[in-house]
Amino acid sequence: MVTISAPPDKPRRMDWLFDKLLSGQGIWPAVPAIIVLTVVAVIPFVMLLSLGVSEFSVSRGQIIDQTFSMRHVTSVLTDQLYWTTFQRSMSLALTTTAICLLLGYPVAYVFLIGGKWTRRMILILTIAPLLTSGIVRTYAWLVILGGRGVLNTAMMNIGLIDQPLRIVNTHWAVLIGMVQIHLPVMILPLIAVMSRHDRKLEEASANLGATRMGTLRNVVLPLSAPGIGTGAALVFTLSYTTFVVPQLLGGGNYLNAATMIYEQVVYSLEWSKASVMSMLLMSSCLVVLVGIALVTNHFTGWTRGRQG
Amino acid sequence: MTIAQDISLASSDKTAPVLRVENVSKRFGTFTVLQSCSISVSEGEIVTLLGSSGCGKTTLLRCIAGFWAPEEGMILIDGHNTVPVPVNRRPVGVVFQSYALFPHLTVEGNVAYGLRMRGVPRSEISRRVADALESVSLRGFENRYPSQLSGGQQQRVAIARVLVLEPRVLLLDEPFNALDAKLRGTMQIELRELIKRLGMTAIFVTHDQEEALTMSDRIAVMQGGRIEQVAPPDEIFDRPATAYVADFIGLSNFIPCKVRDGKVTLPDGQSVATKESDTVKVMIRPHNLRVTAQGTGPWQGQVRFQRNIGPLIEYIVTAGEAEIRVVAMRQDRTRPWSEGDAISLEVIDPEYCTIYPAV
Repeated sequence: MVTISAPPDKPRRMDWLFDKLLSGQGIWPAVPAIIVLTVVAVIPFVMLLSLGVSEFSVSRGQIIDQTFSMRHVTSVLTDQLYWTTFQRSMSLALTTTAICLLLGYPVAYVFLIGGKWTRRMILILTIAPLLTSGIVRTYAWLVILGGRGVLNTAMMNIGLIDQPLRIVNTHWAVLIGMVQIHLPVMILPLIAVMSRHDRKLEEASANLGATRMGTLRNVVLPLSAPGIGTGAALVFTLSYTTFVVPQLLGGGNYLNAATMIYEQVVYSLEWSKASVMSMLLMSSCLVVLVGIALVTNHFTGWTRGRQG
Repeated sequence: MTIAQDISLASSDKTAPVLRVENVSKRFGTFTVLQSCSISVSEGEIVTLLGSSGCGKTTLLRCIAGFWAPEEGMILIDGHNTVPVPVNRRPVGVVFQSYALFPHLTVEGNVAYGLRMRGVPRSEISRRVADALESVSLRGFENRYPSQLSGGQQQRVAIARVLVLEPRVLLLDEPFNALDAKLRGTMQIELRELIKRLGMTAIFVTHDQEEALTMSDRIAVMQGGRIEQVAPPDEIFDRPATAYVADFIGLSNFIPCKVRDGKVTLPDGQSVATKESDTVKVMIRPHNLRVTAQGTGPWQGQVRFQRNIGPLIEYIVTAGEAEIRVVAMRQDRTRPWSEGDAISLEVIDPEYCTIYPAV
């Protein structure tokens, strides 16, 4: 007979903690993330908020007093410049999202109907741009769209135009850059949804008398609604709060919310105003995201069918 | 649309076969999946394409449905060649292996889908959908999503979804695969009765011989892209046309024998007439053999293994170099033969032995 002895009974605090963290019960598994987020997000957020609603008394470069004040909030909310800037940001972000969806969906559809190699090519071409930084890609657009850039030179050589078109430093340059930078972020969630599609559903649809268009509209499109929602939310958030593209392709005079906040912090040293604008940026972004989520939910009611 | 309408209008002649597959061949690259397959199915008949995986049964079904086009041959429905007709205009309804119900549509939405795609007016859609759901006893489930249904109910939705379009031929691709073993038996009987009640013409694809024997009016056994034999279940089981069919359906013993004067002498001394010559393989079903006490006959052996399989007893007998399987009814067990017993074997009915050329 072999007797199995009980493990040595040494109570160790770390063991208990790891046991809890790995238990998969309650909020324990999320505890590390909660700690990190509190340190890097919640605390800075509260400090930022306090900046926006404070009045500082400064003496000899030292803050000697901090009192509550709504002065910066009201000054931002009543200034027409800030309203137009936020409007510009919003319309730029919404346009970028719409164009990314229009350009990205066909790519995802080709991924769906394509064979193994088509799928690989699309995946490689979608991910490859993400391997270089957004700044590098934006500079590449300067080379292409500039006054003596590739595009203007080519169009002048074939006689389409006499004078170089002014594209860089305009709204159009910013839009082109935004779409190109954010397109992969739209395509990837769409592909993720499409690759889970059961191809038999399309065959069933055809067998039931649907044309290719009918199948696309009635089967493929509704089933990819979750991917459209995710992609739209990601592209909107990124392009609404983007800084690099408008700063570089807008030539320093294209103001969107992020570039304006940057100017307030770096040049005007209006930290409290910057703080108020950051809050506005964040909350308006959240409102649109909730809107996107509600619309997506409406079209994906079937995924919650199991509970109903 | 016009071709499909032509086809459904031309169905007046009840004696002509609804579906005729003529010399259909299909290749993928250099690999031949179907080699000149021919089969015809008459009105209201259920035919099963039976074979192991890779035999071409699913390929043939997909060619009939129009998902794949055969390189050669014709597929005629009510006398019209449908090979050039696109998938969405063929008068065939497919019930897929995993049902392929649209997860984003309710039961009603799924069943109405085909009618909507055909531009049928709204009022007619709701009437026909209600009728179709009635015929598969799914009234009251209209607003459920497929994920809220059991496997059996999903299958009935899949059937209602194609029934509502009144297809000329119903194609079912391994429809019981997604169900658990216990439910399968009941669903097989239920589905056969439903198809018969509706008077549908149907083609089944399966690799399960029991399912094929239960469901079919006729079975087409396929192997290597060819149809080996098409016959009613009884004939397939009792009179398999080739050694492959005999081996594939049920248990079988193959015994090499010699032919003399147009007769094969079985090991137990009985003889059967044959048209074959020289050496042949004789197939004897395990239930066509009897185990008797040693010395009662010339075919002697030893029980190597015996087991209880419910109402039956199975023996594996070593006779010379051969291993012979014998199955006896439990109540026929006059003497409990156990492992190691020396016994004799006897063919019960020599007429039920089938003879194939030895290759």
